[in-house]
Amino acid sequence: MAKEKKSDLLQGTLDLLILNTLATSHPLHGWAISKRIQQMSREVLTVNQGSLYPALYRLEDHGWIAGEEGLSPEGRRIKLYQLTAAGRNQLASEVEAWRIFSGAVDHVLLGALS
Amino acid sequence: MLLHRSVAERALQDEVLFHVECETAERIRQGMPPEAARRAALLDFGGVERFKEEVREVRGIRPIEDFARDLRYAVRVLRRSPVFTAATVLTFALGIGAATAIVSVVYGVVLRPLPYLNPNELTVLWERDVPHGHDQNVVSVENFEAWRDRSRSFLGMAALVPARVTLAGGAEPERVPGAEVSPGYFRLLGVAPALGREFTREEEAAGGAPVVMLSDGFWRRRFGGDPGILGRSLPISGRPHTIVGIMPARFEPPRFGWLGEQDLWFPFAPTADKRAWGRFLLVVGRLQPGMGLEQARAEMVAIARQRAREDTANKGWSISLVGLAEQITGDVRTTLFVILGAVGLLLLMAVTNVATLTLAFVRRRRHEMAVRRAIGATDRRLFRQLLTQSALLGAAGTALGLLAAVPGVRLLVSFIPPEVPRTASIRVDAVVLLVSASAAILATLIFGTAAADRGSSDDGTSAVISEGSQERVSPRRSGYALVATEIAIGVVLAVLAGLMVRSFESLRAVNLGFLAEEVVVARVALSGDRSATPESQRAFFDALAERVRAIPGVRAAGLVSIRPFGGAGPATTVGDARRPTTRDGESIVADIRYADRSYFRTLGIPTIAGSLFDERERPDGPPRVVVNETLARALWPGENAIGHTAAIKLFNGITPEVIGVVGDVHLMDARTLPRATAYLAASRFPSEVFDLAVQVDRDPESFVPSLRSAVATLDPGLPLYQVTSLRKLVDQSLARDRFTTLLLGGFAGIALLLAGVGVYGVFAGDVARRRKEIGIRLALGARRSSVLLLILRQALARAAVGVFLGVVVALLVARAMASLLFGIGAADPLTFVSVAAALLTIALAATLIPAIQAARVPPIETVRNG
Repeated sequence: MAKEKKSDLLQGTLDLLILNTLATSHPLHGWAISKRIQQMSREVLTVNQGSLYPALYRLEDHGWIAGEEGLSPEGRRIKLYQLTAAGRNQLASEVEAWRIFSGAVDHVLLGALS
Repeated sequence: MLLHRSVAERALQDEVLFHVECETAERIRQGMPPEAARRAALLDFGGVERFKEEVREVRGIRPIEDFARDLRYAVRVLRRSPVFTAATVLTFALGIGAATAIVSVVYGVVLRPLPYLNPNELTVLWERDVPHGHDQNVVSVENFEAWRDRSRSFLGMAALVPARVTLAGGAEPERVPGAEVSPGYFRLLGVAPALGREFTREEEAAGGAPVVMLSDGFWRRRFGGDPGILGRSLPISGRPHTIVGIMPARFEPPRFGWLGEQDLWFPFAPTADKRAWGRFLLVVGRLQPGMGLEQARAEMVAIARQRAREDTANKGWSISLVGLAEQITGDVRTTLFVILGAVGLLLLMAVTNVATLTLAFVRRRRHEMAVRRAIGATDRRLFRQLLTQSALLGAAGTALGLLAAVPGVRLLVSFIPPEVPRTASIRVDAVVLLVSASAAILATLIFGTAAADRGSSDDGTSAVISEGSQERVSPRRSGYALVATEIAIGVVLAVLAGLMVRSFESLRAVNLGFLAEEVVVARVALSGDRSATPESQRAFFDALAERVRAIPGVRAAGLVSIRPFGGAGPATTVGDARRPTTRDGESIVADIRYADRSYFRTLGIPTIAGSLFDERERPDGPPRVVVNETLARALWPGENAIGHTAAIKLFNGITPEVIGVVGDVHLMDARTLPRATAYLAASRFPSEVFDLAVQVDRDPESFVPSLRSAVATLDPGLPLYQVTSLRKLVDQSLARDRFTTLLLGGFAGIALLLAGVGVYGVFAGDVARRRKEIGIRLALGARRSSVLLLILRQALARAAVGVFLGVVVALLVARAMASLLFGIGAADPLTFVSVAAALLTIALAATLIPAIQAARVPPIETVRNG
């Protein structure tokens, strides 16, 4: 059984992915968010459910996303999440941070190849 | 909070369920059968409980609910393990209970502030006999007056002298303890009479109208608390005394020096007689506010130097100052602090044992912990759960311990030595409870954290797969550290007890210089006509001794002013009449006792040279003296003392001829060396009070009634008091040593038991865990005896570390109790060696059962079954 320890990098990345998903969509519930990330990453990234909900609650506590009560097609009470204004700003800065980070990693990797 | 919690919890539940439903639906769409789809969805989701935990952690909605749940869980777990729970709670209760009881005693006797106004300013002043190294000598009237009148450092000073009086007029004549005190004494202490007034300056003048103040207890006992008693007269020692005041019930008269209980107080009048008595006063002073003891000491030493120039009697004398609190608790302090230290160690020992037990308990539940971790409990949750469990055990143990401390303190006080002061203020009160509760919380945190840390940080995965197969090094090592700690504490406590036992034995072995067995002593005090003249006193005591000798069963009967072990008596300067001072220019201070000829025979005190008193000793005859060997040696070294003339500073100076030398006698206690003593004849210097010593041929206790009736036929109104056997007096003088020995012995006994149990616990657990390893060793051909030896050798190695540490600590700690020891040093090799051997033996014995179990491990099955 593998250890399910999350690294800070992964956690930060998950936040970025959630914010980004909600930025380009109407309000979504938890399962839909995880499916959407999975599809958009062409099945490369599977979101660990055990991490998803804690991340959602954390983002909600920060005020970056807002959850509101909704109804599922079957009439069950569900929670739908959408991005807030603060979340949009946060997304911008996280995207920027990610660019810098991934660019730096690319430089390292390319440098190592040449 | 709870409402918020349940709403949040329900929303979370909804979300999880919806998620699982969506996942299931998706899988069904992909062609899975519904049942399998749901199972897969659940599995995919991971540990639901763990997930909830994490979400809750993010939300911060846990502490109180978690605590309540942990508590319920702990109760359930502990109820399932009654033996573990009982052992832990009892051990903890033992430590806390003993510590609380001892803290109550130490606080009540030593630390609780004295019940006087600004008690820190109160100081006791003594004369200091520099050449003989006596720091605390009683004070002469002249010196007291000079100190009081000249010093600037003191607001005031008062003199006291114990006075025991006969009280007639009741159903039976009664001897009542009291004290003569300078007027202003009670004001000096800052305690006012509850009724009436204190003595006035005029009453200090010699020959004033006799007055008396009463203690609350005496007032209630004798007069039923009648407030109309003020101004009435009380016949004391044949003279009517006017009652002027009654002290409040809460007043505890300070007791120190030869000052015992007090029920009556008289004004101290410095008559010409008393000025001639030499040194006999106790002096208490109150320092000026803000005045330091050192500053005052410097001034007083300068005054003492003036006094030495003014009067040759003060040559070689200085002054010493002691705070009243320190004076009252004095030498009891060391005893109590040693006992306090010992009980602290005992508590530490109990905590160590509880930690050992808990650790073993947690290990036995490793599998359960692992399972819980696998289904999602975090390390932090497990840690907190285990800590809650320990806190519950600690709280139960503390409650039980404090409950037991209350009767424990009562028991302790009942066999506390009588000379320990302030026993009335010993009780389990708020301060004591605060100290004990803090100690208990600290102790709980120590063992609780240790156990919780071990329990929650094990590698869960491997434990689930194969219970006990992969033992990490650290838990085992910590178990061994506990073993070493327990052995070390056991060594320290056993050394303290061992030293006390050896010291007590040497004290009991001291040759006291007299026969204590089969001797009854009783005090007789005359009043009225009989005490009127020296002749009448002499006639009465002669007749009394005659009458007592006639009682069947009496072998010998004699008179003495103060029985051995009967407290301090007069002492004065003794020299050679033909040499005004001894060669060093110093005088010798000798104890003075008045005795008759038969006294020496009654107590078996040998006559070394010369003869004893005879018919020539009459009130009008020339005084003669019998000296003890120490005095003879000091005044006439290498010579025959008989025929010399001594000069004794008593009755304005007497020069008796030395007629005999007798053996040295311990007059005060067994501990101090016999002092120089001069015996004057009871019939030459009659008195109204004598001790009657009677040697009988039977049990002294059974003789007391015949003695009483013999005295009653002579005078039915004569009080016979302080009736006891000499053996009992000697035993009482050892009471404090016996108390300390018993207490430390008890602590050591418990400590050794705990050490044995602790070592057994650790090694039994160790062997159980290593069954597989041992099985493999045996399967590979190891001999059973070598397995046995392996375990024993390991135990011995750990115990040796503990013994070494313990010996080092004990060497340091024992130094603190050096002043309690008699006849042996604090590093007594015999004690240390036997304690070390005892602890190693205990460790070996405690490991023997686990070692034998290890040797009996069936090799193949163990390997196969893991």
